[in-house]
Amino acid sequence: MSNFRRGQNQSNPNKLNVILSTLIFILILNVTVQIWLLYAALNNALENNKEILIPAFVASLVLFLVGFGLLYYLPTGNKRQ
Amino acid sequence: MSKEENINKNWSKDFPIEKQQAINVSRRDFAKFLTLVSGGLMVGSGLVAVKGHLYPKEEVKGEHFVCNKEEVPLGGTRAFVIEGSTIPYILIHLESGEFKAYEQKCTHLSCSVFYKPGTGIIHCPCHEGNFNAKTGDVISGPPPRPLPMLDVFFKGSAVYVKAVEETVG
Repeated sequence: MSNFRRGQNQSNPNKLNVILSTLIFILILNVTVQIWLLYAALNNALENNKEILIPAFVASLVLFLVGFGLLYYLPTGNKRQ
Repeated sequence: MSKEENINKNWSKDFPIEKQQAINVSRRDFAKFLTLVSGGLMVGSGLVAVKGHLYPKEEVKGEHFVCNKEEVPLGGTRAFVIEGSTIPYILIHLESGEFKAYEQKCTHLSCSVFYKPGTGIIHCPCHEGNFNAKTGDVISGPPPRPLPMLDVFFKGSAVYVKAVEETVG
């Protein structure tokens, strides 16, 4: 029975290459936004503004889950089957 | 068999990994590592939120005597500490005659700040940060936030400080 993983692994290496590059690009973007969120949350915490802390954490959590979910689409390399 | 030949013949047996596969593996690991970093940042944000809500910064409570007006000349400063706390403060007698009290820790990396007499500027020597001595706002340099301020008031000629009352609206 074919599933997504096998289907993806059988695609052209050029396509896998593009998928992997895109994933890494998105992950770097996520991490960048998360660094900004952490920086903003820290500065606001030190300034005693608490309203922003929980939303920043939730946003960070969502970005992490998105990144984690994207790992499913990570090509497994050119394994001969 | 010469060394050269031996290498050519056996290297692929010793390292049975194709180049393409090796590249793919390292990029895959990089993507996983990025996700790990992402998780770490998420945990960090969580800790900041927990710290901010469960262990807020202690407010200065009540009124505290600092010194008498005469003890601080015009343009002079006096360092003081509030009882039961280790945070250093400075009392500044501005050239305009006003008294101001600020935390002495720079909001950048907690270096000691000092008042530059005659300029109206509180200066941090570590990274050349400057604060407005009238409001505590940042004028230049790396500090991200204004200096925390205390309210100064007088009883006769005695100078007292208390926490800044938050104005509603």
